[in-house]
Amino acid sequence: MSDNRSQERKKHYISHKESREIAKENSQKIRYFEKRKKRRVKPEEYVTEMKDDKNLVEFDDLHTFFFSDAGTVKAVNGVTFSVPAGSTVGVVGESGCGKSVTSLSLMQLVQAPSGQIVSGSIRFRADMFKLDSRGRKIPVYESEVDENGVEKFKLDARGRKIIKKNELGGNTYEMVTEVVDIAKMPTEAMRTIRGREISMIFQEPMTSLNPVFTIGNQLDEVGKLHIQGISKARVKERSIEMLKLVGIADPEGVYKKYPHELSGGMRQRVMIAIALLCNPKLIVADEPTTALDVTIQAQILDLLREIKGKINGSIMLITHDLGVVAEMADYVVVMYAGKVIEMGTAEDIFDRPLHPYTIGLQKSKPTVDQTADSLYCIPGFVPNPINMPNYCYFRDRCERCKAECSGDYPEFIQVTPTHKVACYLYKDGESAKEEKNG
Amino acid sequence: MVKYIVKRLLLSVFIMFGVSFIIYFIIRLMPMDYIDTAFAPQLNNGTLKPEDLQRIKEQYGLADSSFLGIINGYFGWLGNFLRGDMGISFKYGDKVEDIILENIGISFGISFVSLIFELIIAIPLGVKCAVNQYGKLDYTATVVCMTLTAFPTFFLGNLFIKWFAEDLGWFPVYGLQSPNMPVTASGFQIFGDMLWHLVLPMIVLVMLNVGSYMRYQRTNTLEVLSADYIRTARAKGLSEGKVVYKHVFRNTMIPLVTVMASTLPMLFGGAMITETVFGIPGIGKITYDALSVGDIPLAMGYNMFIAILTVIGILLSDIMYAVVDPRVKLGK
Repeated sequence: MSDNRSQERKKHYISHKESREIAKENSQKIRYFEKRKKRRVKPEEYVTEMKDDKNLVEFDDLHTFFFSDAGTVKAVNGVTFSVPAGSTVGVVGESGCGKSVTSLSLMQLVQAPSGQIVSGSIRFRADMFKLDSRGRKIPVYESEVDENGVEKFKLDARGRKIIKKNELGGNTYEMVTEVVDIAKMPTEAMRTIRGREISMIFQEPMTSLNPVFTIGNQLDEVGKLHIQGISKARVKERSIEMLKLVGIADPEGVYKKYPHELSGGMRQRVMIAIALLCNPKLIVADEPTTALDVTIQAQILDLLREIKGKINGSIMLITHDLGVVAEMADYVVVMYAGKVIEMGTAEDIFDRPLHPYTIGLQKSKPTVDQTADSLYCIPGFVPNPINMPNYCYFRDRCERCKAECSGDYPEFIQVTPTHKVACYLYKDGESAKEEKNG
Repeated sequence: MVKYIVKRLLLSVFIMFGVSFIIYFIIRLMPMDYIDTAFAPQLNNGTLKPEDLQRIKEQYGLADSSFLGIINGYFGWLGNFLRGDMGISFKYGDKVEDIILENIGISFGISFVSLIFELIIAIPLGVKCAVNQYGKLDYTATVVCMTLTAFPTFFLGNLFIKWFAEDLGWFPVYGLQSPNMPVTASGFQIFGDMLWHLVLPMIVLVMLNVGSYMRYQRTNTLEVLSADYIRTARAKGLSEGKVVYKHVFRNTMIPLVTVMASTLPMLFGGAMITETVFGIPGIGKITYDALSVGDIPLAMGYNMFIAILTVIGILLSDIMYAVVDPRVKLGK
């Protein structure tokens, strides 16, 4: 054991020469990826096709790495799953398994310069502005049909065409639904999607709002940015409307307050209000209830479920709380050490978990109807994210590992049409049957 | 707020008392007092006897150097000070308040203009460096600024005099006014001439101080850039410019204004070494000369002036803190 330890320590030790090599390599790679994000590309380069038209988001073999001084950390190492339109997808896993980085990749918000999307694609069905030949948005004008049945534009007092107002009170522009690959999109183009098409709720409501601006200012900002031609009064109205929607009792009062004057639960509601302001299609909630106490947690989850129905969008819920997933999610994706190891509908994962890790997770959950002296815990540790092994990452902790497990990383096995697992135990399909019978 | 300010001002009376006592004590403990320095030649060639010297010292109130004597002298000074009489400078023979008021303008002018330039250069540069951390600009600016900051004032000042005044002859070497100025020169000409004399000292001051402000701003910006609320701002879809210059900059202002407010005494106090190197008769040089001969009234007057400014500066920085940071409330 002690021999093992010293070897382990040796593995962690980096000589001066190695560290210099790592730094050199990192700066080269970082420069390459940063340049790629800044370059100007035509939309054709990142417009693609969805594999399945029912999906809103498709992660396809996504790799997001952090180029740290100790080596490359493969935080997301080949993640493939999809978010069907109108559904809630829960992503679960323990701390550091890459679930947050997956969601940040979707927003292109991975902490740069060290964190970069290296390969793979994130396809998202976005409503983009249709641009004319000079790269401007094309407005839709008010028109009416006169007595001869000819459609004519309505004109204002000065004889100009009036731009049609949309339901948010802004100008209407011609839109086009495109499937874009967020992994290939430059940051400039991504900005029109952030906050408008996809919005995000973060883990830490206490620090996620800027302390020096009022709540109103921070809400209005989003409206002014994404709703073109909206009047100042209408922006404020919309912001207050949103505060009311998320269940804040005194929206006008809160509008004028600073974040430090609100409690954690209130701040998280404000974050949700900011996220909802532009009617996004997808809300990414990155552990929205982790920092809150249990009563507030339940309220926030109820709120999320309620608004999902109202805006008719999808939610990608990142959490390590199995209870939250069970309550909220239609589909569940289980991640371990930067890879998806099992996915399926909520029933699949909770009633028929297959991967030994998922089973372990279920077992380690405290239950009310059983008395136990101590909770079950999965033995061992997550492997070091630098220099990951090439065999199954869970092999050393697995109670059911076989000789085969020392081979290459297991491929996904389709157990049922909705249920997939990456484990050698189910390769021949027999174990799966066994599992079902047993 | 008002209550807080009043309380702080009352407290500062005690601070002033302590400060003035310590300064007076230290000056009186100097081995050579003003009379010793001023009459040294006469004493050496015998025209003045030690008894005469002692008599002069008595007249100046410097005769008794025992502990009690110093205490006595201090309260004498304090009594006059409270009555608004700061005494007459030993060296210049003028009222202390007149000397300070006369010479403060030029010192304030130099410090103020250089401070403006320092901030104009340092703050945008600091933000740029933080945004492009470890980039070419960051390394270059850091190396240049740190090198300049590391230079001693007198060295950089003399180097500039050698290069730009003596060798190239672009700027005057010394003083505030050209000797060949015609008597008929208009006010505008005199002012222009003065500015021409002040270019080098201001450049030296800016170069010396820009580094610390730049690094300060860079560190602050970096800290704020990694905050959660900046990620929120990006997640809203704001442009990078808006993120940096609205959300980040507003937060970096919090520590910045406190530093700014505490530069108040420096602004009026004069740049002692720079003024001495360039022979500018600012308050810094005047008091430096006074201190070196033990001119108690002027030294005391100047130090009290700086002490008052320091207290006001700190109070100002507290108030500014409450202005820029909504989380801070000045109460009680």
